Amino acid sequence: MSEKKVIEALIIDLVKLLAEDFQIDSLINPDATTLLYGIDGPLDSMALVNLIADIEDAISEKFSVSISLADEKAMSAHHSPYRSVTSLADAVLERMPS
Amino acid sequence: MKTIVITGSRKGIGKALAEHYLKDGWRVAGCSRDDASIEHSHYFHFSLDVSDEDAVIAMAHKIKTDFGRVNALLNNAGIASMNHALLTPAKTVNQILQTNVVGTFIFCREMAKLMRSTDNARIVNFTTIAHPLNLEGEAIYAASKAAVESLTRILSRELAALKITVNAVGPTPIDTDLIRGVPEDKMKALLSRQSIQRMGKVTDVINAIDFYLSEKSDFITGQVLYLGGVS
Repeated sequence: MSEKKVIEALIIDLVKLLAEDFQIDSLINPDATTLLYGIDGPLDSMALVNLIADIEDAISEKFSVSISLADEKAMSAHHSPYRSVTSLADAVLERMPS
Repeated sequence: MKTIVITGSRKGIGKALAEHYLKDGWRVAGCSRDDASIEHSHYFHFSLDVSDEDAVIAMAHKIKTDFGRVNALLNNAGIASMNHALLTPAKTVNQILQTNVVGTFIFCREMAKLMRSTDNARIVNFTTIAHPLNLEGEAIYAASKAAVESLTRILSRELAALKITVNAVGPTPIDTDLIRGVPEDKMKALLSRQSIQRMGKVTDVINAIDFYLSEKSDFITGQVLYLGGVS
């Protein structure tokens, strides 16, 4: 499995947990294309904050690296890295040390 | 064992707070630009600049790995500059804002992430009576703490859903390095503006923070408590 697929799978698991915690029915069975935040995305800002922190934690535990997904690059990006599972996976990969 | 993060723990109020909470059975993660001045089996020191985002993230990562979570944060680190506004260089302004505002913000952000799974998580920020008293000669210091107060109030709302309370304490002058060098007549004039006209003690600050940290204080957030009867 490619590194991106591994990270997507990790994010999908976290989205499922978040969907249960925040009772978001549309995110019970997410896949890589699932929209999360922004236009047509079901997450509100508090749910997004939790997801981002969960992803940073999970990356830290799995790969022993600390990344910050809420950096200047994310804030100034033309397309938000938070909009979908796959865009979040790309954002994680971009911030992982090579 | 509960974990408390205390910034600026090498000397002054921060060191006294660290020693107090160690004695009280907490694990203390402290930080300062320099090496540790406390030796204790439950004290862990990080040498960093509080406004260095990468260093604070690395500290949070280490705390998460070693201790799992954080129960409380005391944003004590701060710098002051007593000078007339017309004699204050922009470099000094930036240094004060970086440490007092940016540093406080980064610690709140990173440690709040480690507080999400805890009950009764607490953040206590440090302000000053120089802000409500509009003290001459402390324009930038007071302005930086006004920003900290605003940050405290807004974070108290943003973090309420995570069951984290965010409050601030505003000490009067205390005999620490921060105020050493202030002329005696200026200090007398300042104390005369307090309802209780004496220098503060570290135990006054500890008392206020103990109150905020108490489990019973879970309905108290977004508050600023000035000591000495200043309002």
